Amino acid sequence: MVGLIIRRMLQLVVLLIGISFIVFMSMHLSPGDPASIIGGPTATESDIEAIRNNLGLNDPVLVQYANYMTGVVQGDLGFSYQTKQSVSEAIITRFPNTLNLAIASMIVAVVIGVTAGIISALKQNSWIDVSSTVVSLAGISIPNFWLGTVLILVFSVGLQWLPVGGLSEPFWTIEGMKQLILPAITLGTGSAAMIARMSRSTMLEVIRADFVRTARAKGVKEKTVIWVHALRNAMIPVITVIGLNFGFLLGGTIITEQVFAINGVGRLMIEAIAARDFPMVQGSVLLVAALFVLVNLIVDLIYSVIDPRISYD
Amino acid sequence: MKRKRYLTSLVAAFLIISLALAGCSSNAGNSSSGGDDVPQELTYASTTKAVGLSPIETNDSVSSRVIEQIYETLFVRDPKTMEIVPKLAKSYETPDSKTWVIKLKEGIKFHDGTDFNAEAVKYTFDKFRDPETAAPRASLLEPIESVEVKDQYTVVIKTKEPYGPMLAALSHTNASIVSPTADKKGSLNKEPVGTGPFKFVEWATGDHITLEANQEYWKDAPKLQKVTFKVVPEVNTAVSMLQTGEVQFIDGLTPQQLPRLEKLKNVEIMKEEGTPVSYLGFNMKKEPTSDLKFRQAVAHAINREAYVKKLKGLGVQSNSIIGPKVFGYDKAAEKLGYNYDPEKSKQLLKENGYEGTTLKILAANTGNYMMMAEIVQAQLKKVGINAQIESMEWGTFLDVSKKGDFDITFLGWTNSTADGSELLYPNLHSDNAGSSNRTQYSSPEFDKLVDESRTIVDQEKRKQKLMEANELAVKDAAWVVMNHGVVTAAYDKSVKGLEMDPTGQWSLYNVHRE
Repeated sequence: MVGLIIRRMLQLVVLLIGISFIVFMSMHLSPGDPASIIGGPTATESDIEAIRNNLGLNDPVLVQYANYMTGVVQGDLGFSYQTKQSVSEAIITRFPNTLNLAIASMIVAVVIGVTAGIISALKQNSWIDVSSTVVSLAGISIPNFWLGTVLILVFSVGLQWLPVGGLSEPFWTIEGMKQLILPAITLGTGSAAMIARMSRSTMLEVIRADFVRTARAKGVKEKTVIWVHALRNAMIPVITVIGLNFGFLLGGTIITEQVFAINGVGRLMIEAIAARDFPMVQGSVLLVAALFVLVNLIVDLIYSVIDPRISYD
Repeated sequence: MKRKRYLTSLVAAFLIISLALAGCSSNAGNSSSGGDDVPQELTYASTTKAVGLSPIETNDSVSSRVIEQIYETLFVRDPKTMEIVPKLAKSYETPDSKTWVIKLKEGIKFHDGTDFNAEAVKYTFDKFRDPETAAPRASLLEPIESVEVKDQYTVVIKTKEPYGPMLAALSHTNASIVSPTADKKGSLNKEPVGTGPFKFVEWATGDHITLEANQEYWKDAPKLQKVTFKVVPEVNTAVSMLQTGEVQFIDGLTPQQLPRLEKLKNVEIMKEEGTPVSYLGFNMKKEPTSDLKFRQAVAHAINREAYVKKLKGLGVQSNSIIGPKVFGYDKAAEKLGYNYDPEKSKQLLKENGYEGTTLKILAANTGNYMMMAEIVQAQLKKVGINAQIESMEWGTFLDVSKKGDFDITFLGWTNSTADGSELLYPNLHSDNAGSSNRTQYSSPEFDKLVDESRTIVDQEKRKQKLMEANELAVKDAAWVVMNHGVVTAAYDKSVKGLEMDPTGQWSLYNVHRE
């Protein structure tokens, strides 16, 4: 297992170098000049030139990349072109919001998804199963943007139960939890639907498996058959989906953060792209990529816990 | 059976938790209109974040909104009379056309307790003009040659050439005076220190900025005790927050939100004629848009009255490039433009061999630009011009439009000094062709008039030059003015005393809640 972790970490380093190069080049080669955006349409050519010099944008691109990577190796992700704030600091202050949102969404997704999937599988072809399938399909199809706006209109503006936006309070306080409910439902719905479909299909497979029949034949209680024998075996593909989804949730909070005015990494990234704030884009992309790899590593490790047949040694 | 019970309990538990949390609601959803105990606190929401809080190092409207509460300028334009009046300055005189002697008010202190004096003014302007600083708006004070301290409360500003818009430049937000001590100690961009009615408290970058009342303000202290500038990227969310009372003030409304806002009982809407202008610009370096006859034909083809109606009161129709609220406006220019007349347009196209011309319209996908592009495209089709719209996001647009890769484009200008020179020089003078003069309009006669408007110090004579330059550009169809702007705000009814400047700026100094 230790070997796996070390291997993956080494892969991660190579991957991050590759990603940093691709992102750096695509940002520099795509149209849009950070200095023009900072100066705005009112700035004259001399104003813009001064800004460009100041940011070091007149150096050849490869020199800029080398300078950037020299900093990164020393743990310095550079400074934002726009706000002059340190990139690491900007990410660190926003990351907890994104993480809280992703975790809360994952909880929503797992609780709803796994429950709905199992119930559908046990009651195959019943009205519960059909309605759960229809709702899942709707969940996957509904854009976050629309769902978020509708939830705000119903629960915040209409019923006035929950606040509209922001994640200003810590999540362990009641106010903080209230602020998390709507964004978590918005972001978690798509994943919940995916998890529900996956749980349903694997559960259907497993409850028809020989060992389940054997267990029933031996007279094991139905509850034990389902919750102990079947569920554990059905969970491996579900965990994979959950892991992948969590990675996507971490990187996919952008729209939810926009709609609910949450100051997270997704929003930081989208603002940075719009402003051609190269160091900020680089920093946040690297973070999301690293997290994605780490989450997948954790998922792989969980496999061996759930299914002792899987071993990495 | 048992399982069913589990499921029921689960659903019940979820509902109970939701309701319990909702029950703990403090005041979410309660608009705070009315009552004596309304806290003197105000939250303003903007869709983009402030990028910095130093007037020297920023040049975006959101940062300016905050900066205007913390810092002050030597002069200020009176929103009612549009005259420039002293603010931190007491008086001024111009012994010759290149010298400005400015006397400062005494006894004013920065938020860090240091004195506001001539040294502070010199320090601010020197730093602003220093190429090392790379101030985005450095061109504003570029004509200045030196800033000298005559005595503790008198500064002498010498310019390279006579500089007509000096007072307008000195009343620009970016020319606000900063505390030298604070600037030397740290970054004003992060911890601003000025002389204004509000003091900086905290900044959660990208989320909110908090200010508090400056109790030692040199006039009476402001009534609002706490002001929060919150970033709410999604406009619909901001409107919902205004409705539930989570924010009390938004500005820069769009015609799309207006119907919803007008229905809200707790919200007041303010619309004032302003200085911004939105225009259709031609590429002057390319055929056929470089031909005056063709530009006239396009201008005659566009029904701007129909367009302005779509703005639902958020725009004013005009032929004049310099708008009614800008220094240098002349009513006579309204008669010189090219009004909607499709028959005349067709005739001009036919006479000059432009029938069936194909054009590229370049439009940024922000603001009303896409709406303008679509309307103009449809109207040009009626006279036989086929236009293709290429839309792109703002950053790419700035790049592509600067390179001149378009036939027609749409842009706007806020004009934060409300001075005509500040509109004509950056946008239409050949000095700036290819940068802020996106259409690359170039006319020696026009340049001369604008140069004069900048180098004459006598304001009446300047006005005359600006009127002439404006007439020339209107006749030349350098731009087709789509509309002059209306500055807007929507605020909770508990907010009183809010006044908008025609430039879209506002001060919260006189605001309170009741």
